[in-house]
Amino acid sequence: MTPLHNRLAVLLAGAAVAAIGSIVLARLELDNLRAAFETDARIVHRLLSQRTAQHDAVMAMLALLQSGSRTDRPEQRIPSVYPQILGVQQRSNDAAWPDAALSAAEDESRRNRRAAMAGVDFKAGRYQLVQAAVPASYAAQIDLRSMVPWEEWPMPRETSPVRVMLEYDGRQFVLQPGQEGSGWRQFDFRKRLAADSQPFDVVAMRNLNWTDLPWIKMLGWTLLTAATFAALLALERQRAERRRAEELLRLGQVARLNTLGELAAGMAHELNQPLTAVLANTQAARRLLDDESPELATARSAMQRAAEQARRASDVVGRLRRVVERPDVAGQLQPLSLEAAVRNALYLLEPELQRLGIKPAVGGPAVTVLAEPVALEQIIHNLLSNALQALAQVPAGERALHIESRAAPGQGTLTVRDSGPGIAADVLPRLFEPFFTTREGGLGLGLSLCESLASGMGGTLVAANHAPRGAAFTLQLPLAPAA
Amino acid sequence: MNAPLSPLIHLIDDDAAVRDSLALLIGTVGLRVRAWASPQDFMEKFDRGGIGAIVLDVRMPGISGLTVLEKLVAVGVDQPVIMLTGHGTVEMCRRAFKSGATEFLEKPVDDQQLLDTLQAAVQQHVRSRERNRDDRDARERYAQLSAREREVLGLIVAGLTNKEIGRALDVSPRTVETHRAHLFAKLGAESLAQLIRRYAALVEDAA
Repeated sequence: MTPLHNRLAVLLAGAAVAAIGSIVLARLELDNLRAAFETDARIVHRLLSQRTAQHDAVMAMLALLQSGSRTDRPEQRIPSVYPQILGVQQRSNDAAWPDAALSAAEDESRRNRRAAMAGVDFKAGRYQLVQAAVPASYAAQIDLRSMVPWEEWPMPRETSPVRVMLEYDGRQFVLQPGQEGSGWRQFDFRKRLAADSQPFDVVAMRNLNWTDLPWIKMLGWTLLTAATFAALLALERQRAERRRAEELLRLGQVARLNTLGELAAGMAHELNQPLTAVLANTQAARRLLDDESPELATARSAMQRAAEQARRASDVVGRLRRVVERPDVAGQLQPLSLEAAVRNALYLLEPELQRLGIKPAVGGPAVTVLAEPVALEQIIHNLLSNALQALAQVPAGERALHIESRAAPGQGTLTVRDSGPGIAADVLPRLFEPFFTTREGGLGLGLSLCESLASGMGGTLVAANHAPRGAAFTLQLPLAPAA
Repeated sequence: MNAPLSPLIHLIDDDAAVRDSLALLIGTVGLRVRAWASPQDFMEKFDRGGIGAIVLDVRMPGISGLTVLEKLVAVGVDQPVIMLTGHGTVEMCRRAFKSGATEFLEKPVDDQQLLDTLQAAVQQHVRSRERNRDDRDARERYAQLSAREREVLGLIVAGLTNKEIGRALDVSPRTVETHRAHLFAKLGAESLAQLIRRYAALVEDAA
């Protein structure tokens, strides 16, 4: 999979997680709202049912308690105890109701042996409740608004979004206005009051608004998801960059080896051609001179050609020297931080450091020297690689690597010191010779190149052993003039 | 096939100095040399029927000596090929021998080694050409024999005496003697040993 596809996939996955999380959050919130709405509606239904049941009880009591005495009128005292009962009328056996509706209700009450409703007037917010009894029957006028126990009401009456109504015979009386919604979703509740005598339906509804969704939570979740996936992407990108850097490093090494191989092959061919001609010419000349009648002219011309070819070989060597021996770095000197160069080199060698379990100790003041960037990096890289190879030869517990910068007057130095086996006494004087190596399969060009590069930049590279054990390489370069 | 006067060495190298000096060196031992600067030119024009050897530089512009070698072998060139290289690797050497090179020499090459190798190669080529010619000759003569004569030859090669052959073929020893005389004449054999050496393989192939 390409990195682009990779990133697209991560982006899509992130968007999906954010969307699904938001939907779940919205659902949870809606469920909560619905549960709260239904609880409130049930409380409302219970409160109102209790009141209507109370009305029944009051009316039944009046019927039971009535005495023959006309002066004792308990029904007159009821409005002071039950504020929703505005007044109670009594009809004696011999009298008649002022209203035909009341008569019909009394008939119904007598038939059903319970109170019956008459004259429901939602405009005025009142209704009558009639209880048939002997000797007298009663009719109580009840105020709907006062009937509601507002102190026990589960919702703030003015601001609640829930609309609560009583419904009877297709007409409605609004107890709580509620609020308009955008109408994309609505909760409904409808239940008849428990008292059969007062068959009102409690109707509650809530219109949901878009603002009822948990936008803040959803936004928070989306941001969290975005942050997480961004972090994942960044991590992935970092890993990819790391891989690329390692790949480049490896390629660089391979390329360098290939270049050296090509150089060697080319050198062999370029030198072997004239040498072959020199050898063949001189040997032919000797054979010609050995003959009984020597062909002097041919032999002479063969010797002449041998000399020409020897010169050709020497030209090849001269050309090679100019190409290889002294890379021209003096031209591109610029102020460079030793610390940054060390950090770069350590970064490239990080896998090797980890493998060997080495924590390099980097110290000293910040020093800015005058150098060519690639050459400086090459020198430090080579010195560190050499140190790591030396350290690989000693037990893991004894591996230490010190890198220290120092500023002397006009000169900046960098010392790379390892606790490896050190440099043998007979090797030390030849250390910087080209093609001198103690390493199996080594080219013997690394340190030689480093020294050429250092001196090309007007500096030096010195090797020494230090006590108790190990090698120390000190690179000295001119300090950059203060800006 | 024209009988060559003396062996001819083909020398292919793009470097004029190397070409001229090696040609001079090879010429000092009396071998004829034809030098070629271009491998393509050589492959188009050289005389495949001639006796001799080919000296081929591995590293040449345009076409590698190894490729030239492979092409020569592919078209059935029978001259021995000696490869010259300035920087021989084991892999290159392996490939050269696998492709049919006779010898693989490193530049700069020592005169004695080169000349010995060339002499040996030329002798080898001459011998292989002779062997080929003898083989063809023997096959032609064998084809002229009658069926009865081939039977008799088979029994002679198997080591039977005239008497035993007569018994085996149910003819008289005198008749066997006649067939035998015809055999020797047709096959051009001068002795029993020569007859058996030259024709034993053919008899076995025919059986």
